[in-house]
Amino acid sequence: MTIVHHPSEETLIAFVNGSLCEGNSLVVATHIAHCGKCQQAIRDLGMIAGGLLEQAEPAPIGKEARTACLSKLDDLPVEDVNAGTQPLRIPAADRAMAPLSLYDSGKWHWVGVGVQQMVVDVPSDTGTRVFVLKAAPGTRLPDHRHVGTEWTCVLKGAFVHDHGRFGAGDFDEADASVDHNPFVEKGEECICLVAMNGHVEMTGWLGRLIQPLVRF
Amino acid sequence: MHGPSGDAPADQAPEELIARIALSQDKSAFAELFDLFAPRLKYFLIRNGSTSEAAEELAQEALLKVWRKAKSFSADRGTASSWIFTIARNLRIDQARRDKRAQLYAMVAEFDDVDPDRPDELVSGYEHARLVRAAMGELPAEQLEVVKCSFMEGAAHSEIAERLGIPLGTVKSRLRLAMRKMKKTLEDLA
Repeated sequence: MTIVHHPSEETLIAFVNGSLCEGNSLVVATHIAHCGKCQQAIRDLGMIAGGLLEQAEPAPIGKEARTACLSKLDDLPVEDVNAGTQPLRIPAADRAMAPLSLYDSGKWHWVGVGVQQMVVDVPSDTGTRVFVLKAAPGTRLPDHRHVGTEWTCVLKGAFVHDHGRFGAGDFDEADASVDHNPFVEKGEECICLVAMNGHVEMTGWLGRLIQPLVRF
Repeated sequence: MHGPSGDAPADQAPEELIARIALSQDKSAFAELFDLFAPRLKYFLIRNGSTSEAAEELAQEALLKVWRKAKSFSADRGTASSWIFTIARNLRIDQARRDKRAQLYAMVAEFDDVDPDRPDELVSGYEHARLVRAAMGELPAEQLEVVKCSFMEGAAHSEIAERLGIPLGTVKSRLRLAMRKMKKTLEDLA
C-alpha cells in the first residue's frame, strides 16, 4: 500500500499535543494505523515534546503545594505492572481498523444515489460528526463546498478530486478553500472514515435539489 | 536543584530517578523529579491556556501519576520527558469520562510498521531522544520558536501568526522547514 497523502505537520503536532477533538483524532489515528511513516513521525514528535518540556522555563510551584504533594506518597503505592494494563500488541493485519473498533457505530443507511452512511458514535462537544461513507464504484458526488473542515481517511477503494487520487490509508484535509467534485474510481467501492465540522453546501443545481436530503 | 557545594549527589538523569521510584519507592528520587518537572509542566500548561492554579494542580497530579506508574516506564521506548508529557496530556484531555483519546494514543504508540524513509530504525528510545535533541539544537531560533508555539500552545497557525506578528504563510513555512530539517538530521544520524 503506497500512501501519498499525509496529515499536515500542524495536524500531527495537534494530535500529539492533545488539541484535536476526539472525532478528528480518530481519523488521524486511523491514518497513522495505515502509515509507517506517520507512526515514526509521531514518535519523533513525542520526543520533541519531551525535549521542549525539558527546556521549558520553570513556573515555580508553591512550597506548601509541594509539601502537600510529597506527603501524599505514603498512601500512594507504586503500582505493579500487570499484563491487563498494558496496551495489546495489535497484529499488523488488524491495525488499519483498530482505532475505529474502539467505537460503536449505527447501521448503514442510504444518503444519496449509490452512497451509504454509517454514523460512528464519537462523543463531541465541538460539533464534529464522524461517519463512514460507502460509495459505489464510479459514483460522482455532487459539486460541493465545505463550510468548516472535513477530514477523511480512505479505508478501501479510491476517490479522485482536484487535489489528486486518494487510495486506502490516504488522508484528506478539506476546508473552506476546497471547492471540489470528487468521484469514486471505477471497479471498486470506496469506503472512507470522515470527521466533519460545520457542514457542506451543495453548489450545482442537482446538489441544491438534494441538499435537504443529504445529511452529511 | 543542588547547590554547587556540599555533598549533594550529582543530578541524575530523570530516567534514573524513575527507576529508583520503581525499584524502592524512593521519595528523594521523587522529590528531585518533582522539582525538575512539575514547574516545567506548569509552565507548559499555562502556555496551553490553563490558569496558574489549574496548571499547578495538574502538574502535581501528573507527577503523582508518574510515581504510581513508575514501573510501567520503559527507557528503551522513550525518554522520561516524553513519557511525562504524555501523562500530563492524557490527564488534560481525560476530563470527559467517555473520551477515548487516551486509548487511541496508547494504541497508535504501539504500531511499528516500517517507515520507508528510515527502514533501519533500531535505535533505542534513549538514542532516539539524543538524536532529536541534537536535531532541535541545530534549528534556527525563529524556526524553533514556531515549533515551540505549536506544541506548547496547541494553537492554530493563524493564532501563532497573530501573536508573533508574522504572516500565516511564514508560520507554515517555518514549521515545515523545521520539521524537514529535523527529519533530515534524524535520517542522516540514524
